[in-house]
Amino acid sequence: MLETVAQAVINGLLIGGIYALVSIGVTLIFGVVKIVNFAQGEFVMIGMYISYFLATYFGVDPLLSLLVSMPTLFLIGVLVQHFLIRRVLGPNDMPQIFLTFALSLLLLNLALLLFTANYRTVHTSYSDEALHFGGLYIPEAKLIAFVVAMALSGALWAFLHTTDLGKAMRAAAQNRDVATLMGINSNRVFCVAFGAALALAGAAGSLLMPFYSAYPFVGQVFVLMAFVAVVLGTLGNVLGALVASVMMGIAESLGIQFVGADSGLIVVFAMLLLTLAFKPQGLGGGRMR
Amino acid sequence: MGKDADNTSKWQVAALATLGMILLLLPQLVSNGFALDIFIRILLFSFIGVAWNLMGGYAKQLSLGHVAYFGLGAYTSTIMQIDFNISPWIGMIAGGFVAMLASLPVGWLCFRLRGPYFTIATIATAQALMLIFLKFRDFAWGAEGTTIPNLGSSPLMMQFETKASYYYVVLGLLVLGLVITWRIERSWMGYYLVAIGEDEDAAEAIGVNAPRIKRHIYMISAFLTALAGTFYVQYIYFIDPATAFSFNISIEAALVSIVGGIGTLWGPVVGTVLLETTSALLQSWLGSSTGGIQLTVYSLILMAIILWRPTGLMGLFNDLWQRHLDRRPARMRTLP
Repeated sequence: MLETVAQAVINGLLIGGIYALVSIGVTLIFGVVKIVNFAQGEFVMIGMYISYFLATYFGVDPLLSLLVSMPTLFLIGVLVQHFLIRRVLGPNDMPQIFLTFALSLLLLNLALLLFTANYRTVHTSYSDEALHFGGLYIPEAKLIAFVVAMALSGALWAFLHTTDLGKAMRAAAQNRDVATLMGINSNRVFCVAFGAALALAGAAGSLLMPFYSAYPFVGQVFVLMAFVAVVLGTLGNVLGALVASVMMGIAESLGIQFVGADSGLIVVFAMLLLTLAFKPQGLGGGRMR
Repeated sequence: MGKDADNTSKWQVAALATLGMILLLLPQLVSNGFALDIFIRILLFSFIGVAWNLMGGYAKQLSLGHVAYFGLGAYTSTIMQIDFNISPWIGMIAGGFVAMLASLPVGWLCFRLRGPYFTIATIATAQALMLIFLKFRDFAWGAEGTTIPNLGSSPLMMQFETKASYYYVVLGLLVLGLVITWRIERSWMGYYLVAIGEDEDAAEAIGVNAPRIKRHIYMISAFLTALAGTFYVQYIYFIDPATAFSFNISIEAALVSIVGGIGTLWGPVVGTVLLETTSALLQSWLGSSTGGIQLTVYSLILMAIILWRPTGLMGLFNDLWQRHLDRRPARMRTLP
């Protein structure tokens, strides 16, 4: 019994690392640019397809294709911010919500048109390997994904706290007007924030590829999880999103273990509704950390 | 001035009467089943859009979970019909009340959030409802769904032999939705809704009881959406959670309103005519086999509207009409 619980917790922890990459992206964009990116999941999907095609046609290991997917998505992020998002920034919510929502619909359905609804997988030498500790086993691909995800999250945190650009971002998140008065170029800061968030989504896609299938709707799974984690971890709070994502991963995994294989989503929704009912401000404070 | 306003309203009444005549005669003139099917879809989605627009358009509470009420309406009337042999006409009203009741706890949860997070919470509640209907096969047939028994021609059970009859039913629903919207638009409630939509904090500061108004409009919107759900499953003779709680219905409800003109009486209707006609044309050119093409085009239209015409097609028409008036020689405006 204890072993089953421990195993479920390990599985949840490992996938929680991937959720964290997606939700840190959502919370970073929300914190800095003040919009919710409904299309974040679709950028995970793009990351997965990049790794899939590189692996299938050029034999590139999905982990190595991080070096392609992250810069590509960073660039896409900068372009999306500069040409689309910038035009709808203002006090009115409606255009912001529906612009990113339309982007999500567009990318999803374009993927459906171009790549069909087929599930695509990449098999690597480490896809089936696992480390054994007593009765517990840790799949290598998931462990690598978790470690890289944590390293990337740490790198982002360090970037936000040690570099001038990172500090400018946090300043813009705290008070946009004052930051602008202090000489911070807000469009540049927004572009970098959007790019960084999308690069994390792309990284999540590449890291998933050795043990998860790519298909057009795959992003929806992750974005829903990320939204819940972001509410739970307090909007705009990077550390909160990280902790909440790992919690979500564990809760989902325990749900699958003890309630039934298709109950993962129910657990997620239950957590969202409980959060809204009892802790609508999230578990942490309101600041971007 | 007064004369001008009189003339405008006379023109409006005349235009409305003409439109009404055309809509009433349409099924007599068109007997093609495919075309009638498209008209029914246009009327149905216009109606769903009108219901969404009451809350999403006027109060700017952008829900992407309205299919929750569509599905509840559909399931209520179907369960009542199959298990208790009660006419879907009664089931339709019952479904509306079930949806109204359901909107209270859902609203209680979701209205704690504002802006995009309200939107996300509505998506989550609709999805959660779908999961519940998937799981509980005892009272709602689970994932397989069920066909609705075909009784032949039985108007009392909302089953008709001709598509034209369905057309008139859904036309009636749309008229109901438009009349309700028109009444609300001109009442104190309409002004409160617009005030909330503009700036909720400011509205509360001047004494608008925003939570109460939002709760009420959510109930009305949910009630109307549920009627559409009953009609739809009666029309297609089939129900399952994937159909009754399809996310695409939530999307289309919001989409037609935004494309047509958010927070305007006719916006959802205009938007539906454009989107559904586009979709029908695409289908006849490319065949229905190409998955994704319809929503690809919809999303492009949506992006174009948001970037260039946030007031939608109604805003575009108004601007064009205004420009036309400005171009008229000055004397035509001053002389009777």
